[in-house]
Amino acid sequence: MSAIEELAAQGTGTSDQTEQHRDHPWRVIVWNDPVTLMSYVVFVLRRLFGYDLETATQLMLKVHNEGSAVVATEARERAEVTVAQLHAHGLQATLARD
Amino acid sequence: MGRRERQALAKILERLEPMLEESRWTNSRAYEDDAEEEEFQRLVGSDLEQARADDLAVVRSALEADVPIRLDVEQTWRWLRSLNFLRLALAERLGIEEDGWEEKYSPREHRRPPLATLHLLSWVQEELVEALASG
Repeated sequence: MSAIEELAAQGTGTSDQTEQHRDHPWRVIVWNDPVTLMSYVVFVLRRLFGYDLETATQLMLKVHNEGSAVVATEARERAEVTVAQLHAHGLQATLARD
Repeated sequence: MGRRERQALAKILERLEPMLEESRWTNSRAYEDDAEEEEFQRLVGSDLEQARADDLAVVRSALEADVPIRLDVEQTWRWLRSLNFLRLALAERLGIEEDGWEEKYSPREHRRPPLATLHLLSWVQEELVEALASG
């Protein structure tokens, strides 16, 4: 198991958060870059989120054509893990409050 | 992959790997807020660096070994991630900033280093994606 997969298994946590804050949804956003292959982006989205080919392709095209796309909405801790996994695959990704 | 291709890729990896640490695209931010980003990096930064180093080590070993390269699914993903990082670092070094960059170069420039190197890495990555897709 790679280091980033161990991280996913453990989860991440930020300190001093109330239960309410932790559960508040955060958007995971993937951003376009001029070199990452579209086919690779589709595969990463399918691998990390289990999306079918059509959904992953639509999200990839949104990233490509509009500059970014929300690929998931999750509780903060989970969103951090997701962003870390996207970064581990070389995708530009951020999280923001929903 | 023949010996010449493996040697070429190994050299490319050797030259580009040191750029990964400083590249903007291979070290992207999760948060806009500096304090939140610092906390995020404290939690995952070293794990991400280690994961990338592990992936590149697997690729390097395969290129240097004197046996045919056969990849299972997990190894293919290590190659895919590595190739993507190397492409990002090279693109940044070339000053590629936005889509449509291909049109700014002449066909001749596309056939020579460093663009040819970028295209080679792209080709290998596409081949691996197709291999995964065909199961």
